[in-house]
Amino acid sequence: MAKFDVVGHSVRRPDAYDKVTGGRGFPVNVTLPGMLHARMLRSPYAHARIRSINASAAEKLAGVKAVLTPGDVPQKKFSPLFFMPTESNELIRDLVLLSENIRYAGQPVAAVAASTPDIAEAALDLIDVDYEELTAVFDPEEAMQPGAPRISPTAANNIARTPTLSRGDLEAGFREADEIFEGTYCTQRVHTCYMEPRVCVVDSDMQGNLTVYASVQHIFGLREKLAYVLSRPESGIKVVKSPYIGGGFGSKLDLVYIEPLAALLSLKTRRPVRMEHTRYEDFITNARHPMKVYLKTGVKKDGTFTARYAKTIVDTGAYATHGPEVIMVHAVFSFFSAYRCPHQKWDGVVVYTNNMLGGAFRGYGAPQGCWAVESQIDEICHGLKMDPLEFRLKNAHHEGDAHPFLKQFTLASYRLADCINQGAERIGWKNRSRTPSGAGTKRRGIGVACHPLWVSGCVGLPDIYEHSGAIVKLNRDGTADLATATIDMGTGQNTTLCQIAAEELGIAAESVRMSYADTDTVPFDAPSHASRVTYSAGNAVKAAAGEARRRLLQVAGEMLEADAADLEVRKGIVQVKGSPDVNLTVAEVVSRAESPLVQMTAAGPKVTTIKEKGSIIGVSSMAPPGNPSPCAAEFVEVEVDTETGAVKVLRVVYAHDIGRVINPAAAQGQVEGGVQQGIGYALMEHLQFDPGTGACVTGDFLDYKMPTAVEMPAEIESIFIESDEPTGPFGAKGLSEVCLTIPAPAIANAIFNAVGVRVRDLPITPEKILAGLGKL
Amino acid sequence: MALPKLREFITPADAQGVLNALRNYQDRALIVAGGTFLHGLESRGLLTHVEALIDIQRLGLDYLESGKDGLKLGATALFADLETMPEIRNDPWLGAIKDALVFPPVQVKNAATIGGSVAASCPFFDVPISFMCLDGVVKCRGSSGMRDIPMQEFFTGLFANAMENGEFMVELAIPRPRTRSASAFMKVETNANDLAILNAAVRIDVDESGTCSDARVIAGGGVGETPIRLSDAEQVLVRQRLTPEICARAGLSAKGSVNPISDHRASAAYRSEMTRVMVNRALRQALDRLRQ
Repeated sequence: MAKFDVVGHSVRRPDAYDKVTGGRGFPVNVTLPGMLHARMLRSPYAHARIRSINASAAEKLAGVKAVLTPGDVPQKKFSPLFFMPTESNELIRDLVLLSENIRYAGQPVAAVAASTPDIAEAALDLIDVDYEELTAVFDPEEAMQPGAPRISPTAANNIARTPTLSRGDLEAGFREADEIFEGTYCTQRVHTCYMEPRVCVVDSDMQGNLTVYASVQHIFGLREKLAYVLSRPESGIKVVKSPYIGGGFGSKLDLVYIEPLAALLSLKTRRPVRMEHTRYEDFITNARHPMKVYLKTGVKKDGTFTARYAKTIVDTGAYATHGPEVIMVHAVFSFFSAYRCPHQKWDGVVVYTNNMLGGAFRGYGAPQGCWAVESQIDEICHGLKMDPLEFRLKNAHHEGDAHPFLKQFTLASYRLADCINQGAERIGWKNRSRTPSGAGTKRRGIGVACHPLWVSGCVGLPDIYEHSGAIVKLNRDGTADLATATIDMGTGQNTTLCQIAAEELGIAAESVRMSYADTDTVPFDAPSHASRVTYSAGNAVKAAAGEARRRLLQVAGEMLEADAADLEVRKGIVQVKGSPDVNLTVAEVVSRAESPLVQMTAAGPKVTTIKEKGSIIGVSSMAPPGNPSPCAAEFVEVEVDTETGAVKVLRVVYAHDIGRVINPAAAQGQVEGGVQQGIGYALMEHLQFDPGTGACVTGDFLDYKMPTAVEMPAEIESIFIESDEPTGPFGAKGLSEVCLTIPAPAIANAIFNAVGVRVRDLPITPEKILAGLGKL
Repeated sequence: MALPKLREFITPADAQGVLNALRNYQDRALIVAGGTFLHGLESRGLLTHVEALIDIQRLGLDYLESGKDGLKLGATALFADLETMPEIRNDPWLGAIKDALVFPPVQVKNAATIGGSVAASCPFFDVPISFMCLDGVVKCRGSSGMRDIPMQEFFTGLFANAMENGEFMVELAIPRPRTRSASAFMKVETNANDLAILNAAVRIDVDESGTCSDARVIAGGGVGETPIRLSDAEQVLVRQRLTPEICARAGLSAKGSVNPISDHRASAAYRSEMTRVMVNRALRQALDRLRQ
């Protein structure tokens, strides 16, 4: 690590204390003078038509300043996804801000702004809505049947999309197979459970310009979607970047009702308007899509894939939103391109139901696919009596291979084999018993799963934004300000990006500060998603810092009467290469650059040079040069109580190839957070709804169960295989999402190892295990 | 809205102040102490009628006393304080309370009170059924003085109990056993801040010869609108020399006498089976304590 002064060190987050004490930087803490508070009225019916709506009593309530009903808002259809162009052909635009057609329980029908939240809430009770209730359908396969209630007027049999992927000759591949395995794997609806609710404050000026503060993962996306829905120019909307947000995990990658409603209420009242979700509202706003994946796989006796077929049914909920996109990412990265196989086919079906909307959640379709593929591999290995590690290595891609999907790229850094081998060594794989072990009512088992192919951003994927920008400005005290639209949603990117800037500038990490940004002042940036920030934004920050450094050395060259090419900057000192005694501090150089041309000295006026004048600044706006794949193998040890079916995760060893690690502590934090979300997905998290009304019955943390510190394994070991990604900033690539795609199948495989029970539908509740043991 | 009809938050300095407030507001008042269950109730729309919250924490009811007759636990004493009582930590007969206090998260332990946990009359709570298996007695105060209600008669329905309008709980008394006794508590939960999917509290008393002279078997958490006493399972134990086999038989009997609910957290079949497992395990735990 001597190669780097800043990269590779666990630099402490400067905003850590601020954040854990509920810092003012969270958008939820934004208040403006004269601010109103708004609330939404939501439909109690899952499928209905509004016959009439009368808000006159609400409007008369003292303190109520404005009411919006469907007739008061644009009926323009839109897709809320931040990360794709609004008019993209990939998307289905079918969402309406306030509609008279109700497609899910909880769909907003009206909004009220009042002087206090309580008055706004009380006014909701005074809005009289006459609904014509319609028959609802909640099961996607029922929704596809002829005669099922029609949810979208444009989708026959409620089918929104039926994409396919194909390569080779599937039937020939199955003929070559020695054995064929089939199975159906299901996943449930789960929420990201970020800590800070969806919240926004929208202000408007007399010219109708809007200023927006919101807890989102993408300020430019919010500006674009808001402008589209409201039919206003993008330049008339300024979205202010929050210093940090209280988590996102994908849930804050789309426009929700609050931002445009608050904007309209602000324009109507000429006052700032604040809207904040309750936790219940957060739970019913978006969630990871439930998917049902049917797999049919042909293999040779030696474990080589000959043919792979999959069919995926996605419940996209009441509106298409993410459905058409999430199914493609799911198909490509967790099934179609995950392993080498000559003959493959995949069919997808995106189905409307009267359920809540789907959304983005770390992994974006990959957790559902990994659940199916990595569970089935374990079943295949059991059937073939083959070691699951050997099987995966046999079918894996290799470093230097062409990228299996993005043909313009290669897998220049790809060390899955090292992940598998080093992880196996640490967990003690070779001592793993093929038969259940343990005493009394407790049985222990070890399982493994892999995430072979993933992304570092979205370059190469159709219609997904992927470029970043940064402004790096040096200060006269030798520090630097970094401004970028990149949102730190808790991953520590404020710190990581400052480290990249500091390394490139040759100054200390603490000398770079993440500065102010809004959509008016900094270059466009794609959202914080798709494991892209360290790689993509990191490349842009490095480029901006590199430009600033070049200018710094030019000015220093003038001052030292040396050629800039002969200078270097390290640890805040500019010096002549090989002659460290000839040096200046960065502070001296920047001060000189910003000083008056003629300086008064003790000896009288002294003229400096025009060439050295001007702030030292670097700007970048660029797409990254590639889309390298991180990859990972996870090993878990579980203990199963054979009388209660309870599963305890005892130990996790997680090996990742993420290229160079910029900040080891932050990377480890990503892994541990991923394990926590992965255990929740595997064992307990489940958004559930009343089967009659479609109303959410798990709308707070009393009923929606996620792992607490008590359920976390005592030991989570992160192994980082430091490959050197040639296109990455200092060799780095992405990490975030591979941390949580694998825990569910790894845990399922460990449970099978422990008690011989195979559960194919998530979550793996104690009941399912007891049923598998024949005890229920 | 949280409490749409709330008009007053009252903090009386003495019992008379509480009684006056209760007389004024009748069934539209709610007694509070730690307030740990308030959000859970209000967010489910169960407190829309409440006009007054009466905080009884100034009444000096936070005492924990141990005498020759047993324990006197003040209504506003905290779980965190109860947990540190030497007898709770060490004595086999109070093992069920010790076990039940393992489960609440530390934030709850530092605010939740003995009286609140009992008077809330929530069938999914843990600590109250540990009091039930110890034959605890609720002491409540009304305008005509003090009244005793045995724990086993206290719960009358979901969030309902045997206290009259105008009465409030001031103490929980637990009688000291006259013979060798041990108790234990077990719980099935999904995560560490869960209400019980199923819980069980048991007590076994033995005479000098080691024969079981009396027993209590209580199950809660979805077995009904209140925790229930399983007398059939108790009868399996009484007059027997207790062995693992007898414990298992009592567990089976317990399973046969419950008729649990199915909900989004667990099926009735699972809760029935867990009644067997938890009663059996609690009895084995109590038996181990008896042998200490």
